[in-house]
Amino acid sequence: MSAEPVVTGAGAIGAWGVERRALHGALAAGHPLARRVEGTPDAATVPAAACAALVPVLDLSPWLAPAHARRMAMTSRWSVAAARMAVEEARPGPRDGGRTAVVMATAFGSVWFTERLVRQVLDEGPQAAQPFYFSECVANAAAGQVAIAEGARGANVTIAQREAGPLIALSQAAAEVREERAEAALAGAVDEMSPLLHRLLDRYRALARGAAGRAEAPRPFDLRRDGVLAGEGAAVLLVEPAATARARGARTLARIRGTGSAFDPTATESDWGEGVETLAAALHRTLRRAGVAPEEIAGIVSGASGARRGDALEGKVLRSAWSGRTLPPIVAPKAVVGEYGGGILACALAALDGASFGRPTQLTEHDPQMGIDLHTGSIPHGPILVSALAAGGAAAWVVMDRP
Amino acid sequence: MSGADRAPLPPGSIVITGLGAVTPFGWGVAPLWEGARSGRCAVGALDAAPAPRSRRATLADRFAVAAAGEAVASAGLDASALAHAGVAFGSSTGGLIESESYFEDLLRRGPRRARPGLLASQQFDGPGDAVARALGCTGPVLTVTAACVSGAAAIEAAARILLRGEADTVVAGASDALCRVTYSGFNSLRAVDEKPSRPFRKDRAGLTLGEGAGVLVLESARHARERGARVLAVLAGAASTCDAHHMTAPHAAGAGAAVAVTRALTEAACDPADVDFINAHGTGTPHNDAAEAAAIARVFGGLARSIPVTSTKALIGHLLGSAGAVEAVVTVLCLARGEVHPMPDDGERDLSIALDLVLGLPRRLPRARVALSTSLAFGGANAALVLRRPESAHVR
Repeated sequence: MSAEPVVTGAGAIGAWGVERRALHGALAAGHPLARRVEGTPDAATVPAAACAALVPVLDLSPWLAPAHARRMAMTSRWSVAAARMAVEEARPGPRDGGRTAVVMATAFGSVWFTERLVRQVLDEGPQAAQPFYFSECVANAAAGQVAIAEGARGANVTIAQREAGPLIALSQAAAEVREERAEAALAGAVDEMSPLLHRLLDRYRALARGAAGRAEAPRPFDLRRDGVLAGEGAAVLLVEPAATARARGARTLARIRGTGSAFDPTATESDWGEGVETLAAALHRTLRRAGVAPEEIAGIVSGASGARRGDALEGKVLRSAWSGRTLPPIVAPKAVVGEYGGGILACALAALDGASFGRPTQLTEHDPQMGIDLHTGSIPHGPILVSALAAGGAAAWVVMDRP
Repeated sequence: MSGADRAPLPPGSIVITGLGAVTPFGWGVAPLWEGARSGRCAVGALDAAPAPRSRRATLADRFAVAAAGEAVASAGLDASALAHAGVAFGSSTGGLIESESYFEDLLRRGPRRARPGLLASQQFDGPGDAVARALGCTGPVLTVTAACVSGAAAIEAAARILLRGEADTVVAGASDALCRVTYSGFNSLRAVDEKPSRPFRKDRAGLTLGEGAGVLVLESARHARERGARVLAVLAGAASTCDAHHMTAPHAAGAGAAVAVTRALTEAACDPADVDFINAHGTGTPHNDAAEAAAIARVFGGLARSIPVTSTKALIGHLLGSAGAVEAVVTVLCLARGEVHPMPDDGERDLSIALDLVLGLPRRLPRARVALSTSLAFGGANAALVLRRPESAHVR
């Protein structure tokens, strides 16, 4: 019992907007899509991160009726709109909604609504809680809303595994299709960034900050990396069996060759660990499952984001997995689109689509511990490895190609 | 045992070898079983939590680690046996109770006095990661956050990891702590009863919220056999669906829940007639129980009147994301001990619900072979688990 899972539709919303061309343009430019977060202090006076890759005000009405949108948190709105884009692109034809699964990932859920609900309860008392906020602040609200919008009555799962969540969600969706429990699956990730969450991440020194002579920017694998660019948005992919896609002549955006995940128990609750060998062995298994040797990987879409320990671990894991062989071209699109919100899924598809990756504009010099020189230009045709290592210990990989 | 992939396994080859729980009956499986079979309602305060392992551990983390520790000890697994194990965990709120403290500090004492660590602890994956870290697991680790089906969905996810051959052992479960925001939220939906909940009874008026954790050790049957483990039950089938109907209300006819049950039975190669008892989601809300009874009637037809049905929530309340995991633990215990725990015999019979409710006293079912545990949730999610007694199961 096995059906080859392929991606035939995708929708994504991020700091670049909704247009795929805009994302490709941003990746080519290599400049972080950073905007100032409301209420952040002036970095010249207070050392603090001020920017995030925030979603601009968008007209989502082509995919989501305003009357419906009003009843949703922003995370649900973005997810439903992205899912609709994916379905429109895939044009899957008549489906058995009972066998359409939804697998979403989120790191923080609907933080705006959660903050409002908590403030209501603590400030005004339990009776002040608004049911609307409550039902939309549960972490699986976005997945539930996608299911309602698309009539998807198969499994409905929300994965929370921080930075590794989007790839785990895609893996779970691929498994639903491969193991023939679902005839289609909508897989993706969503997150939003509030000023409070942004401040919190900054208090933990997770975010890139500006410094004398250095602009605030994420610097993946760079010697002077000092944190990530927080991001927000949603990405949803439609996954279905290759045979179904072929039968109706659908365009295949990606074939999911193999997936894998692992855990590094040396990680602390809020940082990355040092389990290089453990994760490299798991990465090897992932490649074996995909039927791809390391030297056959045409390129790596890395989850490196400028996190001090995270990038160090990822670089060492890749080096170890390739055992001294030359690494394939590596790109780190989180330098542009930021961390969280499913941007890595959209960027992985962009890589398969031949998008050109510019050199991140704020890099200074290589970290000699890793010696990873980010690739510029398109990734050659062939299987790519998408990699994500999460703070807290989780790691996930997906091998995909475009047939 | 190594981290290498194994050959994929057929359904029915996943066994349960260890159990752990933290519930309103106390810390451990023994007080849970003793309390459950007594049929007394445990709604009240939890015992004081033991000292945390880490300054950053949330209450939900502590529940999770304690229950997981008990489960792996009862399975006879040591650290080396767990090194390549996976963890599939559920949580609906993570460390929301600690985040609440942060907001309280922020509102009452200002931003300088609020400790950001409290807010940072509100990670949904906190309990599952804490378990993986505490046990030193390096296999696949994932957290499912699907409101009240989180626990059952995590158990299904664990089974899939094993069936794919990605691990020999997966620690599966869920943990949640109850906080004011959760209580206020359910209250705003008019879903909370002031009295202990009375699932499926005519005067049922809502749920009783609770907190805790339930953990099961799942292994491939081959792995359990090779190490001579005691098998408590077989996880014969599991399935999830979504109503795709409403964010907070179940489908009135229980359509999605019925499909989940049917698919889980199919995976378990069981007919409805094979099911000896049901541990229902049974929250005690008017809508949920009516929809669930309709789902049971849809699947079991005339048999629905004669299959004993219980709801653990009548005794310990609704443990949120951990409900499905704790109820799976209880269902395994019922199968293993040959009796179904009762619900308090409070309230009047609802004539519109034609179920054989287990009330007042435990129901002896020494020959029970197959049990069903169901979970329903916000967002329309449904999950069903089919469990078998090992001596009657065809363990492949």
